[in-house]
Amino acid sequence: MASIDKPDPEVPTKLVASEGAPPLPPPPAPPCKVDYFAVDVALRVWLFAAAVTSVVVMVTSEETEVVPVPGVPNHILPLPAKFNHSPAFIYFVAALSVAGLYSIITALASISVLLKPDFSKTFLLHFAFLDLLMLGVVASAVGAAGAVGYIGLKGNSHVGWSKECSVYKKFCTHVGSSIAVALFAAVLLVLLSMLSISSLHRRIRD
Amino acid sequence: MEIQKSNIGSKQRMVNLFLRLMAFVLTLVAAILLGVDKQTKVVPLKISPNLPPLNVPVPAKWQYLSAFVYSFVTDVIASSYAAISLIFLIANRNGKKGLELILIILDLVMMALLASSAGAAMAVGLIAYRGNSHVGWNKVCNIFDHFCEQARASFAVSLVGSLAFLLLIVLAALSLHKRSK
Repeated sequence: MASIDKPDPEVPTKLVASEGAPPLPPPPAPPCKVDYFAVDVALRVWLFAAAVTSVVVMVTSEETEVVPVPGVPNHILPLPAKFNHSPAFIYFVAALSVAGLYSIITALASISVLLKPDFSKTFLLHFAFLDLLMLGVVASAVGAAGAVGYIGLKGNSHVGWSKECSVYKKFCTHVGSSIAVALFAAVLLVLLSMLSISSLHRRIRD
Repeated sequence: MEIQKSNIGSKQRMVNLFLRLMAFVLTLVAAILLGVDKQTKVVPLKISPNLPPLNVPVPAKWQYLSAFVYSFVTDVIASSYAAISLIFLIANRNGKKGLELILIILDLVMMALLASSAGAAMAVGLIAYRGNSHVGWNKVCNIFDHFCEQARASFAVSLVGSLAFLLLIVLAALSLHKRSK
């Protein structure tokens, strides 16, 4: 048995070795390999996950607490804290929703390029432009929500804005985690634009 | 053919240098506008209902709001980066390809920084302008009108500076696309 088994494993390995050798010689393959569209698709899927997570966490952040009514002394009422009380958070939700939709569409486009790489150069240019635009939108949304969230966390004694996070703890946790995830989405968008631009750059080399 | 090609190249170079100069000037102007922003107003302060209101001078400075500090710092970073990249581009006459890619990627980072600072400053500026009744944050721009005006001008200039960076990246990507195969 052993004498029959021993040669068996070697035959496949030889076959594999001989099969592995032929793909190496044809050199025209590398120009297509410089594009990394597979990495592009993976990053876009991550972007979608991050955008959806941050929108869901932000939208579900509603919390109602019994607090003194601002402006009316000696009165306490259950007051809700919602994301749509602040224009910055509304902008944040809108921007991240657009980013999520954008990531689905471009992921499909990227997959189509993977399957049929005829127009990969044009796609690279358009991905670079659109990613840049989305990066601007998402970065400004993160900046806006972060700035308002920071005032909510620390307050500002100079202009008399009180901190809200000592009262609305759950709300603040939700907002903070949502902003952190959105920051990750912005970093992903930076990586995506870098990827398309460096792929274009690598194609210059003859 | 060769002359035409180099002509196009030098034209592109001039546009690139001009846009970089614009980005430098705009972000510098934004930083200066915000950096000198200060207003002191005499506000009547009522201590008790029996006494007449006390007039207290209250200063408004840009350092009081952390979002404004962030905006100032990013403006300074972007303008110094634009100056340094301008020097590098002028020194690098024969056009090394590595430098081009590094500059595009750094432009990208600067644009993201400027966009986030514009978002932050405008969100806080909006609260200062309108207030927020839900959480009891009062507006302050009705008192410090000049301060708000100047801060707004600074943010607008800074936003235009970030658009200059955006245009730089778009033009660079177009030129890469034209030369790639």
